[in-house]
Amino acid sequence: MKTVEYIFAPYCNIYGEFYNMEYLKKSNDEINIIKSSHKDEPYFVSNHVDMIYLGCMTEEKQEKAIQLLMPYRDRIKELIEDGAVFLVTGNSIEMFGKYILDGDRRIPALDIFDFYSERQMNNRHNSLFVGEFKGMKLLGHKSQYSMAYGNFEKPFMNLDRGYGMNTDTKKEGIWYKNFYGTYSLGPFLVLNPYFTKYILRELGLNDDLKFEKEIIEAYEYRLADFLDRVNY
Amino acid sequence: MLRFFVALWAAKLVMFVNKLRGNLRDDWPGLLAFKLCPRFLEYIRKPKLVITITGTNGKTTTSNLINDFLREQGLSVSHNDWGANLYAGFALNLMRTVNIFNKTIMDASVMEADELTLDDTMTMIEPNYILVTNICKDSLRRNGHPENIFNHINRTFEVLGGKTKAVLNANDPISSRLGENSPRVYYSVEDLGLNPRENIVKDISVCPVCGGNIKYNYRHYRHIGDFFCDSCSYKTPESKYVVKSADLEGRLISVMEGEQETEYPLISDNIFNAFNVLSCISILRELGFERSKIADFLGRQKITEFRETIVEFNGIEYYTYGAKSQNVSAASTVFEYMAKEPSKKDVVLLLDELQDRNHPPETVTWLYETDYEFLNSPNINKIIVGGAMFLNHRLRMLLAGIPPEKMVCVENEADIVDHVSTEGIDKVYVLFEIDYVTKAKNMRDRIVEKAKEIAGR
Repeated sequence: MKTVEYIFAPYCNIYGEFYNMEYLKKSNDEINIIKSSHKDEPYFVSNHVDMIYLGCMTEEKQEKAIQLLMPYRDRIKELIEDGAVFLVTGNSIEMFGKYILDGDRRIPALDIFDFYSERQMNNRHNSLFVGEFKGMKLLGHKSQYSMAYGNFEKPFMNLDRGYGMNTDTKKEGIWYKNFYGTYSLGPFLVLNPYFTKYILRELGLNDDLKFEKEIIEAYEYRLADFLDRVNY
Repeated sequence: MLRFFVALWAAKLVMFVNKLRGNLRDDWPGLLAFKLCPRFLEYIRKPKLVITITGTNGKTTTSNLINDFLREQGLSVSHNDWGANLYAGFALNLMRTVNIFNKTIMDASVMEADELTLDDTMTMIEPNYILVTNICKDSLRRNGHPENIFNHINRTFEVLGGKTKAVLNANDPISSRLGENSPRVYYSVEDLGLNPRENIVKDISVCPVCGGNIKYNYRHYRHIGDFFCDSCSYKTPESKYVVKSADLEGRLISVMEGEQETEYPLISDNIFNAFNVLSCISILRELGFERSKIADFLGRQKITEFRETIVEFNGIEYYTYGAKSQNVSAASTVFEYMAKEPSKKDVVLLLDELQDRNHPPETVTWLYETDYEFLNSPNINKIIVGGAMFLNHRLRMLLAGIPPEKMVCVENEADIVDHVSTEGIDKVYVLFEIDYVTKAKNMRDRIVEKAKEIAGR
């Protein structure tokens, strides 16, 4: 069995993020999903985990989540260095940067990667992207109040279409060892079946997917549609 | 003030030209007023009574009821009933209530208002009442998340303070916290034994006061119910207007107000419209209208035609039914209604928004926020989907556990008519995104035509 911790599950399910875990579980019953809440000590603190998932949350909850994870920063770094799979989607990626700016406020973050974010609650950004990771075309959806700034020397994806970590870059997300972070929100794994297969392989599992024919047909159709429509 | 009068006169002139052209619902005069005078809403005189209705779901139905009742009582009322619930719509609404000298010439204004811009607009208008129907999950592109909506509405009350009375849904753990420093009156519904299903994506995940778990003595739908926090004292506030019992099928509710219990007719058989009617009753009672007059009025109302129409042929009823797709709380609630409404039915999904073309970030995410699982119900005979999203709908329905033999997904919407059952069912529901009333009616009519053609063979 492979253990996947869905951290702060009640917080991190605002745009269908739940289905990332649901789909992994439906695809392979050797996956054991552990949902931890903001009221529990994260499971990874005292136990072995093969993968950690952290999804998008509201800005208020994001700040709370940073406070809750801060005491375990070293353990998180250790897990990343040891090659545990991290999938971090939506604004949760900002928690792994140095800090978040919100007007006059500077909110310290986990400071694991060298970038910062800036929030503007009166300016919602919506876009799509098509990016490349290890020869795979990945599709993403963004709907957010913030952007991230830094060098992003090793992005998760280089974008063919769409905006990256901010509107001036085509570099999207963070990739370090098995840490995959992206601003894309919602059911990223359902949107990207080839990446889901890759994650299953990284976990040492068979990479067959639930409804594989149907999910790939939907992906191919959507990819063609994105390439047709996303001209930025 | 000169700037204001220039704006008023220019906008009135355009309004007059529009009137000559028979175009009374064009927002352009309101937009012009705003461009010429950004503080237009502040300077324009307000009628004696201004009622604002906002919230994620139910604001159109509720504001229509309030407007129609006030007019029936002989009041002259301006109402932005053409779907313009932003600045320009409010400006045009108020412009109708004054003459060219900015003197009030109407009795009341009823304003259906968008939640997100409330703090920019209502703080200038200073309405007598703000009725908040509920705060639920809505389009992520437009509204982000319910916390964001709450913050915008709450800022409005913080600025208005005691000037505006808040009329609030006590059964909503999100919106019932609004207006802490404003006069508040609540309405609620007691246990009706509805036992709604759990939603995949919750409107509220944890207690907004302490982060504890929100629990329920009973729920009516989604997060609406008699709630309490398991870690602090946060719970459903006391209500002035309480539904003690309801016969939804018979379309009747019994409302306790103080010591007096009164029966009122409903406009449809679902719980969310019962809340709309209750919120309307609450505000009309706050205004002092007699219970009997309100009951008499409600008895003659029905759901707005653009949301629901019916045609009957060969023993099957064919409905068009508004579902507001990317407003995931509304879509999920309609899906649950489809499952609970006991008739044997085919369901046609026409839920793709125009925005899927122009603002595509939601094209997949909303499908996974919406409870397609509710459609996996024995009384739903077949689900037919058409349009560019057909493969995404198919995958979502498969993941929701719906048997493949119960679904038909076609790329070309025109092909839908070939797959709708013509026997063995009681009803066909065409669920449509509310921007597409005509499209939905056309689809429904083509389905009926096809049924007639088959019957004639």
